[in-house]
Order: sequence, then C-alpha cells, then structure tokens
Amino acid sequence: MGMSEELSAIREQVLEGIAKARNLEALEKVRVASMGKKGSLTAIMRMMGQVPADQRPQMGQLANTVRANVETAIRERQLALKREALEAQLNAEATDITLPGRRLSPGTQHLIEQVREEMEDIFISMGYTIETGPYVETTYYNFTALNAPEDHPSRSGKDTFYVVDNAPEGKESHVLGESDVLLRTQTSGVQVHIMETKEPPIYMICPGTVFRPDTADANHLPQFTQMEGLVVDEGITFGDLKGTLDHFTREIFGKDRATRYRPHFFPFTEPSCEVDVSCGVCHGEGCRFCKNTGWLEILGCGMVDPNVFKYCGIDSEKYTGFAFGIGVERVAALRYDLPDLRMLISGDQRVLRQF
Amino acid sequence: MRVSYEWLKTLVDLPQDPKDLEREFVRTGTEVEAVERVGANLDHVVTAQVVSKEPHPDSDHMYVTLVDVGNNNVDKDGNPVPLQIVCGAQNFNQGDHIVTAMIGAVLPGDFKIKKSKLRGVESCGMNCSSRELGLGDDQSGIMILPEDAPIGVPLTDYLGMSDVVLDCEITPNRPDCLSMTGMAVEVSAMYDTDTHIELPSVTSESGADASEQVDVAIADPELCSRYTARVVRNVKIGPSPEWLARRVTACGGRSINNVVDVTNYVMYLTGQPLHAFDLGKLTKEDGKYHIVVRAAEDGEHIVTLDGEDRELTSDMTVITDNGKTPIALAGVMGGLDSEITENTVDVLLESAVFDNGHISRTSRNLDLMSEASIRYERLVDPNGCASVADIAAALFEECCGAEVCPGIVDVYPKVKEAVTITLRPERVCALAGAQIPEEFMVSRLTRLGCKVTPADNGELSVIAPTNRPDLTREVDLIEEIVRLWGEGDIEATLPAARNHAGGLTSDQRQIRKIGRTLRALGLNETKSYLFASPDDLSKLGMSEEGRGVPVKVISPLVADQSEMRRSIVPGLLRSIAYNLAHGVSNIAMYELGRVLFGHKDKSQPDEPSYVCGVLVGRPADDAWNAKYPAYDFFDAKGIVEGLLEALRIPKVRFRVAEPEQYGWLQPGRAAEILAGSETIGWVGNIHPLSLQNFDIEVPVIAFEISVASLLRLSQKDLPIVEPPTYPGISIDLAIVVDESVTAEQLIQRLKSAGGKLLCDIRLFDVYRDSLRVGEGKKSMAFSLTYRADDRTLISEEVEKTHTKLVEKVLRSTGGEIRG
Repeated sequence: MGMSEELSAIREQVLEGIAKARNLEALEKVRVASMGKKGSLTAIMRMMGQVPADQRPQMGQLANTVRANVETAIRERQLALKREALEAQLNAEATDITLPGRRLSPGTQHLIEQVREEMEDIFISMGYTIETGPYVETTYYNFTALNAPEDHPSRSGKDTFYVVDNAPEGKESHVLGESDVLLRTQTSGVQVHIMETKEPPIYMICPGTVFRPDTADANHLPQFTQMEGLVVDEGITFGDLKGTLDHFTREIFGKDRATRYRPHFFPFTEPSCEVDVSCGVCHGEGCRFCKNTGWLEILGCGMVDPNVFKYCGIDSEKYTGFAFGIGVERVAALRYDLPDLRMLISGDQRVLRQF
Repeated sequence: MRVSYEWLKTLVDLPQDPKDLEREFVRTGTEVEAVERVGANLDHVVTAQVVSKEPHPDSDHMYVTLVDVGNNNVDKDGNPVPLQIVCGAQNFNQGDHIVTAMIGAVLPGDFKIKKSKLRGVESCGMNCSSRELGLGDDQSGIMILPEDAPIGVPLTDYLGMSDVVLDCEITPNRPDCLSMTGMAVEVSAMYDTDTHIELPSVTSESGADASEQVDVAIADPELCSRYTARVVRNVKIGPSPEWLARRVTACGGRSINNVVDVTNYVMYLTGQPLHAFDLGKLTKEDGKYHIVVRAAEDGEHIVTLDGEDRELTSDMTVITDNGKTPIALAGVMGGLDSEITENTVDVLLESAVFDNGHISRTSRNLDLMSEASIRYERLVDPNGCASVADIAAALFEECCGAEVCPGIVDVYPKVKEAVTITLRPERVCALAGAQIPEEFMVSRLTRLGCKVTPADNGELSVIAPTNRPDLTREVDLIEEIVRLWGEGDIEATLPAARNHAGGLTSDQRQIRKIGRTLRALGLNETKSYLFASPDDLSKLGMSEEGRGVPVKVISPLVADQSEMRRSIVPGLLRSIAYNLAHGVSNIAMYELGRVLFGHKDKSQPDEPSYVCGVLVGRPADDAWNAKYPAYDFFDAKGIVEGLLEALRIPKVRFRVAEPEQYGWLQPGRAAEILAGSETIGWVGNIHPLSLQNFDIEVPVIAFEISVASLLRLSQKDLPIVEPPTYPGISIDLAIVVDESVTAEQLIQRLKSAGGKLLCDIRLFDVYRDSLRVGEGKKSMAFSLTYRADDRTLISEEVEKTHTKLVEKVLRSTGGEIRG
C-alpha cells in the first residue's frame, strides 16, 4: 500500500473514531491515537523522509491536508461534545420553578410607626420640625396653660390617669383620685413647652403616646398615639390652617378626598373646628363605614387661643397661629379598616407580619 | 341637649325640613348626634270610643268592651266594625273617648299587641293608660279623651305629637344652648331671622308676700352668687297636662307630676335649674321658714332624691332648713325628705346659681351627674334667676292650680355685669383670612343678643349678654362670626412665610436607622403597654437598682396596669406568652420605647428610651430546601453586633454578665454590651425561672440597649477606604487551647502577634473532642489573611510572619497546633 493510500486509510479511520467519540475523554483518546507522540498520523509524518524526493512535496501536502482535516474534525467534535455536555447539565438542572423560594424576610415596621413616619414626612415637607415632650406631665402643661380652667370637666379622673405625686410640696387635691401629675391625655402640652423655649416662627409637630382611661376594646385603647401640630408666625390665618390640613388629608388619604370643617370647641384654640374627610368607601353617599354620614372625623384643630400665647409669653397681637391634633390610630383604622385596635398592642406575630 | 323640632318652631322660624336645620347646626358648630322621629313608635294606636261595656263572664275585675276604631277595622264591604277588647280598667264608661292600641302596635318597652284570649274571651287590642303609652306616669286607669275627640285617628296625629327630636352635642363653652330659648337665639343667628319667644306670666297673686314667709341667707357668696325663692300655695298635685308631659319627655326627662314637671320644663326652656321644696316639710321659726345656703360639714349626710344616703365633705354646698338639716345638695340633687309628693300643698321654688367649680367637684366626687349639675358646671347666668322663677310660678298657677304668693326673696350679693368688648373688624378678617363684611358681623352678633355700637375709629363696641360666659374677649366674638360665616367657605391657603426650615434632627434620623437596621436583621417591630404590673420586675428577677421608683397610677383600669413600666422586657414576655398561647412559636420582635424611672421626691420621672428585642423558636420552620436551627444566644448577639456595626459604634465588646447583677439572665449565656468602657446594654437568654413566672416554657433570648447611648456613641461620616489593590494570602490555623481561653483572648493574641501584615482573622470552627483534642480543651480554627498595602507579598515573607505568629500565640496561650 502506498503512502497516499495509507494516509487516506488513517484519515478515514481517525475521522470515524472522532465521529464515534461519545465524550471528551473518548475524543482525547482518538486524538492521542492519531496525533500523539505515538499516534498513527505522527508516525506516518515521521516517515516522510523516506518518500522519494520528487513525490515528497505532493505527499507532504497530502499529509498536511489530512492532518488539518483531523484537527478540524477534533475541534468541531470538541465543541459539539461541550455543547452536548452543557445541554445535558442544563437539562439535569432544570427544576420545578413553582417550588417555594428560599426566603429571607426582613422584619416589618409597626403599622402605627409606619403611619406616623408618613405623617411626619408630610409635615417635614412643609418645613416642620418634630418635637417631643414627657409622658408624665403636670396639670399645668396638660390643662392650665392650655386654657382649661380648674375644675373643667375634662380634668376629671374619668378622663385622665392621674399618678402619685412624689414631690414633697405636692398639694392636696380637692377631688379624690386626682393630683398635680398625670399621664398626658394629649400631646398638646408640648405646644406650651415649645412656645416657652423657642421664638416664633414655630412650625412643629409632636407625635407621641397619650393615655386615657378607656378600657381596651375594639375601638379604644387606654394608650394611643396622637400627633400635635403647632404653627406660630406673623399673619397666620384660619385659611392657612385649612390649606395645611387639606394638603395633609390629600397626602395621607388620597387626592380625591374632600374635607369638611365643622366649628367645635377646644379650650386652647379659638375658633376651633373638627375636620372630617369624605368617606373613602362611599365617597360621600353614606354607607355603613361612615355611619351614613358620608364623612369620617379625623382631627381637631383651631387658631391658638390668645390665653395660651399669654401663658407662653408670646405677643398675640404680633403673632397668630394654629394648632391641630390628629389620632394616628384613627388614621390607621380608616386606611386599613382595622377590625380591632387591640391588635396593635398584642404583639401577635400574625398581625405584625401583615404590617 | 335634646331639641324638639315642634317646640323650637314655637320659639323661632324654622325651615320645613328638619334635615335643613340639622345641616345648618352642623355647619355652625352644633353637632347633631341623632335625629329621632318621636311618635312613630305609636303606629296602630288610635283614638276610639267605647260602644259597650259588659262584665267579663269569668272575672270580677275585667270587662268585655266593644270599641269603635272607625275605619281602622272594617268588614269585607268596608263598613266599620268595632273591636272586642277585654279591659281591666275601672275608670271608664260606655260612650267614653279613649285610646286603643290595635293588633300590630308596639308600645314603649317593646310591648307587642297581639290577638289573645283573656280567661276564654277573645281580645283584639288594648285600651291604654298614659303610662302604657309612655306619655306620663298616670296609671290610675285608661286615658279618657275629651268628648269632642274624633274616632279612629292615629293618636300621634290627634295629639299633634308627631315630632322630630335633634339630639345635639353642646360643647362645654355654650351653657346657653342647654335651653330651648338659647337654641332659638342660636337658630335666629344661624338663619338671620327673628325669635318669637313668649313666656307665661302670673295672672293673679294672693296671700302673704314671699318675703314675709321665707328668708334666705347665703353663708358664703363664693358658693352661691344668687338665690331667689318664690312661694306658691295649695298646689293640686296630679299628672301634667299632656303638652307639658310631652315636652319634658321630648327633652329626655320623665314626666313625674305637674309640679316637678314644671320645674324641669322651665329648666329645659331657660337653662336655669329649679328646685321645688315641699314647704310643709320645712321648719318654721319666728313665723318664717329659713333657707340657709352653706358649705357642708365633713361627714354630714343627706339622702338624695334617688334614695342614696350620701356622705358629704366641706367642699360641697348644701341648702339647709335654717342652717341645720340639709334639704338639698346644692346644684346637684334635692333631698328626699323635702321632695314633692302627692300630699304636698305649699311649694318653695328655688331659682339660684351655685359655684361651678364646687358643683363640678361634688359631681365628680359623688359620681352623681344631673341635668342641674351639668348646667351649673358650665355656668348659669345669675341675672336670669328671678325672671325664670316667675315663669315657673306662672306655670304652677296654670298647670297645678296653685295660688301664687306675691313677691320674690332675692339674695344677690354681687351683681354680674355685662362685659364690653372692643371688636376690630379688620382683625376678624385678618385672623380668618377672609373678607367678611362688617354688616354681617353686626347683624349676627346682634342676633346672638349682643349690643353692638360702632365707635369713631372703625372699631365696634360689643356688650355681650351675661348668659354667654364664653364671650369676654375679641377673639370670642371672632369665633362667633367665623362659625356663622362658615368655616367651610373660607379659602384654603398655605402660610406665606419663607422664614423657616424643618426636617428630622440627626438623632431622629438615627432612631429611624435603628429601626430600619433591626428590621433588616429580621425583627418585627411591636408595641406593648407602658402600663406595668407592680410585680413585673420581681417576677422577672430584675433588680430595681438604677430603675428609680415606680410611677403609680392613682386609679388604674386594672390592677396589673397600676404602674408604668421600668423595663420593656415584661411587656414583650407577655406578648410572647400571647403568641405561644395562640400557636405561634417562632417569634422575633423588637420595641423601641420609653421606660419611666420615678424619683422619690420629684413629681416627674426620667423617661429614657430603650430598644429591646426578643427571639423565640427559630427564624422559620424547615422548608424543602432550607433547615433552620433554633435561635440561640449567638443569634441575638449577632443582631446586636449588626446593629452596632450599622451605627458605627466603636470599640464594641461583650463581657460576661455577672449573675448577681443580671438575675433575670441564664448564667453562662448572658453578656453585657460595652462600647469602650461604657455598658450600653445586655444580651442573653432569659432565665428559665423568670420565664416560668410569665408562663413561658420555651427559651427566650433577649437584648436591651440604651437608645441614648446608641445616639451618643454612633459615629457619622467615617472616611471611605479604597479596597486593597494587592492580593492577600490566606492560611488556616487550628489551635488547641484550654477551655478557659476565650475566643476574645485568642483573637487578641493573634492580632498583636500578626503585626501589620495580618489584615483579617476569621474564626471558622470551634471543635471539642475528648479523644482527639483532649479533655478540657478545644480547637479553634482560624483563617488568617496577610496582605500589604503597597506590594504583592511573596510567600517567603508570609511564611516568616506566620511562623513567628504561631510561635508567639502558642507561647502566650499555652496552646498547640492541631495536626
């Protein structure tokens, strides 16, 4: 058999081996068997020297062609096998993607804190600061300086948690169960603290816990959250109060909600009013949610009474202002249709995880 | 205040539809809590006539009647047929006009009229007494109507008693609105319309002048600013006329008898509480009765009208019979002994004003509210006393057949003067932010009873009526004008000033960050009561030291909420118990809030904030692709470390929490959290014995950290460091040491031995095995990373450093390399 035939035979044999190789290892064996040091093609290349000189260029060219063919075939086969291997791997990795994910859940923020932060941010956007005050307050800050006269019914032990006054000079109270110190029933006392210490302009809110002797039930908690607001500046009008609260109401309840201002009475503001927001369920038509009125009461407010300014040493001729108090639980209850306020204080994880 | 629409209509012009009135009330500041249709509950109750009356065949005291109810009962041809009704009343005759409740009627007390048989005789309705109809107290027999009464007309139509009652919430500043005349004035200002209030007056007087029969002394004018008394004789006690009973009932009162009803009626009409004493029950001395108003004596007793024996204090005021026996608790309730009874002949009428503060305290101390006390608390106008007494006297004459004695005894030491207020129209507009015309101000204030006089300088001089104690300053008038103008009509604006900026303070931002970080670390935020039980700390085993004295609530709602909390932990333990009891076993939550540390000699406590977290169970139940080990000490510690790292708190260390000081923690699983040398909190397993006291039988790991410390120690604006340019070389090293050597000590040694090149120490395994490692020993395996900032380290250099480190650490810890 001449070299040319031999080359052809090797080529056929090797190409067949390549085609038959089922994996990269088998392919590698074929490569070594042909192109390795002891490979068939290598061996025949080595014999090239023995080829007569006149045939050598022709044989050399043929040998190179065979070699190139084999190399190409191996490379192509390699790529194909790699692709097959990857495909096999991917097929093997395919999974039921409806299986649940491996989940890491962040904790949740308490609903009241969420609403409170949202409310804070709305007022911050209007240039307000956030102030705080003590939970245990004196009757002076909770009532007197807020223009609620001595013996005003709102001071009754029925509506206020009084606490034991440990001060040696604590005076005897005329009414059983009352003292000069109490758990604040409203955040309004912070108004007085701030006006005593800051010069106008004052634009502040004070969100915080307040206490009233209401037995806990679906609609009451003895401890809840109020947000007080106070503005004292030159030229503040009742219209400014309305504009501010309208903005707040739309931000917190939605742009489509209307407000209603009903004149009311609070000792520390005059004129005073209660503000309703149109019912989000029936949009004012009247339904069970709004007790057929079309309106939901959300807050109390008014122009700061000059007597309060007097207590705080602010000139009520130069400055005017407004104040408001919003129940955070009330806002939350209206927005989330809370079935029972006690859920907010039980620490029930099944509830907390919904916040 | 319950306002009868029909009654109010007699005092002022009203719109046709009560709904309009309701809307206008709400618009101008009188909240309407309910609108009630009165009379609607007397459907199927009609006027009737007795056709026949026969004795019941089987009863001595009942009659079988046939009653003509007109077209309300007809045969198939439409002809009226009388109803057969068995009746037990004795006071009627054939031909009498009566009131019959037919089948289907529902009488007050949810009494349904049905067809029934009484001792075998069929009865198709009931002939009614006024008491059964809720129209009065008379139960002596059925109601007999005048002979000219029509037959078969609905009773409500016949009596004209179909009415609408608006239940109005009157704010405490408006005592004037606790009366029908006050409401009429309010309505006249609302609608800018006239009132037509006509008050009755006495037609004839007889007998001795009141002042010859009674004298009045006020011991302390502070307690009683005015006391007037009139005397009427020979009253005929009986049921009230129907109109009187109806009006008293409409206002929420109960018709008792004509004398009592008159006093209540006049109170509802004018807002002035009245009291009628049975004059015959008082003592005559020197030919006169002597009324003395004085402070009660401590321990003095009176039995009030409601039958309660009440012990009085010196802060209360009593009306006494000549200074001795109390006959009324002034301004709150009359005494039982001098009450009007069916035997009363002569009446002393009191129309007086008592101090609001004393009344308010008395009412609160005795837990006794009355229509009178509600009005006195809110201030009654002393200038009205005498004329109101006259109205009552006229009605005694009209409704009780009384002979009115001339004159009035009137003790009024200091007359209350009307207040003159200067009103600047431009101030009204400036405060409202609206252009309200001056004419509007003048007309509406005048409607409200003010005398308005313009001054030369454009101001208005306003004299407010003395029954409006809320009108003393310019701003009080502004309020009236604004509410009548309509708060809804004022244009909404925003404050124009550009002179301020707001925002969170840096501490407030950090507090939000604390919450954000803890939530990112998997804790749910919760809230618990600031109320605590007095035994909370002792149940927990937490020392009171450093936690002040408890703030004690004087009248707690429940015994286990009688103090304010001094630690957040007990509240969270209660929440854990709640969750466990409801089948929730994996719990991870935190609360950031105040605790209250009281002072022995100060009124107000310190109120520092703490953040407290608890872990129970495990992060989640096992899933198909994830297994979650139970929470342990290191989960809580890891959360604390994560929080302190997020806040950039420097020099954080954990130190063994000594059991003597941390009794609520499980020894050996309890750590103090330090930043530098400052203890800022603790973390550890709650002691199982403490948990038992809170009904918890599973491990709880908790931490509590001072928020003030976190805010003070947290660092801001730390410079950002570029990541290393050159690669590091990591070498693993396992060292076997005695159990007594802590991880902190070993790491400290590694750090100091590693020098500048050692840039990271990671503990990746702690291994104990008595055979392979040795008894009382442990192996700790570290991955140490060496790196230089300015070059790629060559292995020789690292080996040299590492060998030196190993030598040093082994020498200083007595450890050995684990092969």
